Amino acid sequence: MVNVWTIAAHEYRVNVRRLGFVFSTLLYPALGMISLAIIAFFASPAGRAVEAQLAPETRPIGLVDQSGLFTPLPAEAAGEFAAFEAEAAARAALLADEIAAYAVISPDYLETGAVAFYIKENSISASGRRSAKVRTFLQRRLLEGKVDPATLERFYESVQLSITKLDASGKPQTTLEASAVIIGLFTPYLVAFLLSTSIFPAAGYLLNSLSEEKETRVVEMLLSSVTAAELLAGKVIGLGLLGLTQMSVWIASSLLFSVGVGVLIADSGVLFNPQVFGLEVIYFLFGYLLYGILIAVMGMLGADPRERLQIAGVFSLTASSPYILSLFITDATHPILTRLVSFFPLTAPVMMMLRLPLTDVPALDVGVSLGVLAASIPLAFWAGARLFRASLLMYGKRLSLRQMWRALRET
Amino acid sequence: MQSNPVILVTHLSKAFDGVTAVEDASFQVNPGEIFGLLGPNGAGKTTTLRILMDILKPDAGEALVLGRPPGAARRRVGYLPEERGLYRDLRVLECLVYLGQLKGLTQADAQRRAAGWLERFDLTARAKSKVQELSHGLQQKVQIIASLLHDPDLLILDEPFQGLDPVNVDAVRALIREQRAQGKTIILSAHEMSQVERLCERLALLHNGRVILYGALADLKRQFAPNALEISPPLPLAGWPGVDRLEMRDDGRQRIYLADSRAPRDLLKLILERGYAVDHFELADVSLDEIFVAAVKELPHG
Repeated sequence: MVNVWTIAAHEYRVNVRRLGFVFSTLLYPALGMISLAIIAFFASPAGRAVEAQLAPETRPIGLVDQSGLFTPLPAEAAGEFAAFEAEAAARAALLADEIAAYAVISPDYLETGAVAFYIKENSISASGRRSAKVRTFLQRRLLEGKVDPATLERFYESVQLSITKLDASGKPQTTLEASAVIIGLFTPYLVAFLLSTSIFPAAGYLLNSLSEEKETRVVEMLLSSVTAAELLAGKVIGLGLLGLTQMSVWIASSLLFSVGVGVLIADSGVLFNPQVFGLEVIYFLFGYLLYGILIAVMGMLGADPRERLQIAGVFSLTASSPYILSLFITDATHPILTRLVSFFPLTAPVMMMLRLPLTDVPALDVGVSLGVLAASIPLAFWAGARLFRASLLMYGKRLSLRQMWRALRET
Repeated sequence: MQSNPVILVTHLSKAFDGVTAVEDASFQVNPGEIFGLLGPNGAGKTTTLRILMDILKPDAGEALVLGRPPGAARRRVGYLPEERGLYRDLRVLECLVYLGQLKGLTQADAQRRAAGWLERFDLTARAKSKVQELSHGLQQKVQIIASLLHDPDLLILDEPFQGLDPVNVDAVRALIREQRAQGKTIILSAHEMSQVERLCERLALLHNGRVILYGALADLKRQFAPNALEISPPLPLAGWPGVDRLEMRDDGRQRIYLADSRAPRDLLKLILERGYAVDHFELADVSLDEIFVAAVKELPHG
């Protein structure tokens, strides 16, 4: 057992300082931080001001009011809109870049609401913003003088939603803003997604490490000191801790830099339902152990590094299939499918990690899936250690089925 | 046979996909001796050593290492595999310390011992170099250090001279003798038999997975030595009584093969009587290569 920890410590120490690991661990948070900073800045008044300074839109939007309901334009709209008698004149102005766009309000607007909007550029967001401007202008003009200003303002900001969660006795638990509810549902799912996806890089580190030791022929030296099972176990532990480190950095950075998440942690209890989060971590560990052993051992059966990656890819694909099936998680019409996938060892970890934050998973499902995984992992390790040992000294060729069978029967 | 052999191999067999690598091999290695496991490439030497190290499992037969099944006494055995390899992007000292720890040394002890060995091999300045920055020969030295670091009772060296220049071959030979002098048991394999001829006390010669000769080197030499002598300078001895044939050696000496009934000293007496001068005269030795060739020829399908 001492050897296992020596190997685990060595693998962790050596790999944690590899440039590739440091880069991939810090790159995603860095990119996330930069993206969030940019979004946060341009969403703020200061950002909008800068945006306006950087790309000022001084051109008005043309209006061809065939209904006669909106013209003449009020004085305050003069800078933003320009009225045209005929569509031909508006089109000429657009082509000459004198206006940013123009809208043709149909003669039967009151009956049909038909407005044709014309733009020159391909920017969907820009045309969206301009058409929204026209819509607001039309709404205001329709209601002006008929509704008092306060009602008019409430019309535009009609709901400031807050949601209160009640416990079983009807006592209010938490009150959340609507946006927080959305983030509160989304963030646990995101964490589950992040956790489950980080299983695969960790398993990849394991395969790379074993492949490298085989290619550099150092493996025979190691096998003169430790058993193949000790070597595999040490690597699984050391590189699993490496995966946990990477995942922790990713999650911590997500938490630190996600807008509003800090508030959620403090107020809602939605994000860190300790029971759900604890189970997520257990499924991560079980998932890593199972996939790590299978991907590494089955990968090592390949004759060369390229073939090893191909074999590992088949396992990764199977293990990640629940991402596709996650569409059915919240769909009550497919409970059997969701549960079956939760009980199959190769898909159970990812499926359960995705189910837990989204639905109330029955305790039976948690128990069965954990039981299946707990039984599968020792079995995978037992078989894996034998196949791993048999494949380690085969250079440039793969084990035949007969050799695999013999390896499994060796004592 | 002595009691308590360090290695005892009994009727060992191993095949890969129907191809026999080792077949019914039996031999023992006694405490404190240098034992040679010799034979050409593909003879089964490395497979046998891998079975002794518990890296491979035998199909049949039994092996005991230090009185225990293979693998049970890993920490008392130092192993230099034929397939050499080290962690290329680790520093030399770091690599040695890790391999030492796997043999049961503490980190501090492994560090102290590694530093000592590096100094002995003039590698102190390279302790912090990455392994990949070292030449092939230096990497091999580092690997030899790794096999010795934990002061093993038994050293198993698979082709220890392969890839070394003559200076380093001598250095490794001296190291093996030194380990032997300290009471260690050494088993070494080689396909170039001349490299180990001067080291081994006893040996097993393998051919196609079978042990075709086994015993003390001196006994085998006696058994295979020809009735011949070597002289210089060469003389016109063709047709002389008792002379079977003549052969010129690469070193300029003349080898004279005698009829079984003729003693070398009788020929020397005759040479001197006939007034020839002889600078050098010795009984012909037989090399391991020659013994191997002769032994293979004696096999039923040799």
